[in-house]
Amino acid sequence: MRLLAVLFAFFFANAAWADCPLDLGRGTGLVIFSDHYMIAFRPDPLRIEVGEPFALLFNVCTKSGSAGELVSVDAHMPEHKHTMNYHPSIVSKGDGRFRAEGLVFHMAGHWEISIDVRAGEEIERLTHDYYIK
Amino acid sequence: MRWGPLTALLLAALAAPAEAQAPVDWSEAEIRLVGQHGPWPPPPVRDPSNRISDTPAGIALGEYLFNDARLSGDGLMSCATCHQAGRDWSDGRARGKARADLDRRTPSLWNVGHSHWFGWTGAGDSLWAQSIRPILDPEEMGGSWARVARLLREDKDLACGYDRAFGTKPDSDDERLLVDAAKALAAFQATLVSPRTRFDAFRDALVAGDREAAARYGLPEQRGLKLFVGEGNCNACHFGPRFTNGEFGDIGIAFFVRPGEVDSGRLGGIAALVASPFNLLGRYNDDPSGTSARRTQHVRRLHSNFGEFRVPGLRQVGRSAAFMHNGGFATLEDVVRHYSEVSPDRLHSDGTPLVRPLGLSAQQSTDLVAFLRSLDADPPTRPAPPPLCP
Ligand code: HEC
Ligand code: HEC
Ligand SMILES: [Cu+2]
Repeated sequence: MRLLAVLFAFFFANAAWADCPLDLGRGTGLVIFSDHYMIAFRPDPLRIEVGEPFALLFNVCTKSGSAGELVSVDAHMPEHKHTMNYHPSIVSKGDGRFRAEGLVFHMAGHWEISIDVRAGEEIERLTHDYYIK
Repeated sequence: MRWGPLTALLLAALAAPAEAQAPVDWSEAEIRLVGQHGPWPPPPVRDPSNRISDTPAGIALGEYLFNDARLSGDGLMSCATCHQAGRDWSDGRARGKARADLDRRTPSLWNVGHSHWFGWTGAGDSLWAQSIRPILDPEEMGGSWARVARLLREDKDLACGYDRAFGTKPDSDDERLLVDAAKALAAFQATLVSPRTRFDAFRDALVAGDREAAARYGLPEQRGLKLFVGEGNCNACHFGPRFTNGEFGDIGIAFFVRPGEVDSGRLGGIAALVASPFNLLGRYNDDPSGTSARRTQHVRRLHSNFGEFRVPGLRQVGRSAAFMHNGGFATLEDVVRHYSEVSPDRLHSDGTPLVRPLGLSAQQSTDLVAFLRSLDADPPTRPAPPPLCP
């Protein structure tokens, strides 16, 4: 709830981002942002199961309105100190939309998803904590 | 001072039975964790990479081939030589034996259709690809494409069984016929589902809130289960209805095969997978959607793969003749002692804190073993298969 409130305040204060399409086909996904980027994403299928492959659908928007690129997606379990046993591949769907395929969370618990994006030279990493039961 | 030890003993004697009799409380969170190990049995599997998977004619042909020693080079060894129905689809030995002694234990084939990596190192990515390996391996059956293909073409019953399963007569493409034979073997093996156990009755009762039915499960088993999903953290890897997440782990089992020679585990498994013409990225995958090849396509080589082995499922585990990939432990008590005492120095990976010496008490160890044994049940006897083509 708090995140949402912050998000809306943010949204209206930054007219440039109002164009960013947050809808990912099945309602709005998770939203994360930094000074330069706003990223909406959701898993496909929507419910991630332990040990089952899934994809992540992304919308990458930049504050400046220039095209943002999804460079890589990865995930690890900070408490267990291991990554995924799989390396996701990324397909661009145009218009700032991307699909990362081949993720598997092979244990229940806390996963940190890292999302590397760029809109020019520099790559910026955004992260998101995901808890799978 | 003289009565000190005696009092301690008496107290222990009084305390032990009381602790042993106390009912086990299950929190909401624990009930959810226990629930994840079911329901059982799971729905039948359909493998999209195998066009005759889950078809009666494919299964029937597979059962005949599984028991047919003519698949081997010398005509003396069948799959069933090592994977025996009466021995939980294994061979009752610590390590496999063919012409030569093998370095790894023959895994049971119970529930094998639900895996996604096959063999101790996941060198196979489908049940049919995994079924080709022993036929061709000179250390195991020492057969050949040509031999299997000729058998399918020339044996009247098998040729007829092939026709029924695949809808065409066996043709002259030897390699394809070998793959088709393996697909029939896979269809059969996928039907080997272990029976319901005492654990399953408890799990269902607990989830349904049926306290009376739940109370039929012994207290030691309940305490062992609580440890398994709690402090022991066993379900991090032994997850889900089959008690495996299907991936790989390093729990500090020695990987020296003999002095100077190591079993590199998953590292070698990935190398073999990538080199195999029969993997799911190759031309024999029957799944046009490509979904079944997702793991193979994205699998990642990691430093930690060295010395990792597949997390075994634990259903029917207590019926095994030995434990671990190398058959290095003879009893479940030895396995539990390993988890209780494992030295962190023996872990080859970079300090993943998933396995650490648990320092179990004698009672905790017995409880854990009691729980593991509750995952065993006698399977019904198998009727002889009906004739392939009456
Ligand atoms: C000489 C004994 C022997 C024979 C004969 C044999 N196997 Fe095996 N089987 C093994 C051993 C040992 C392994 C473990 C191999 C490894 O992972 O390195 C194994 C592994 C397997 C697996 C993987 C199981 C799992 O849990 O992933 C399957 C499936 C399998 N065998 C099927 C077959 C089929 C089908 C045949 C006949 C075509 C066959 N085996 C013949 C010894 C044998
Ligand atoms: C890090 C993941 C992991 C954890 C945590 C873990 N195991 Fe295992 N377990 C494995 C792997 C991997 C093997 C096979 C190792 C080998 O063959 O070298 C195994 C093997 C076993 C076996 C032998 C099965 C067989 O068929 O040989 C038993 C029994 C077992 N574990 C029980 C437990 C119990 C009880 C716990 C908790 C105290 C536990 N495991 C915790 C990964 C794990
Ligand atoms: Cu983990």
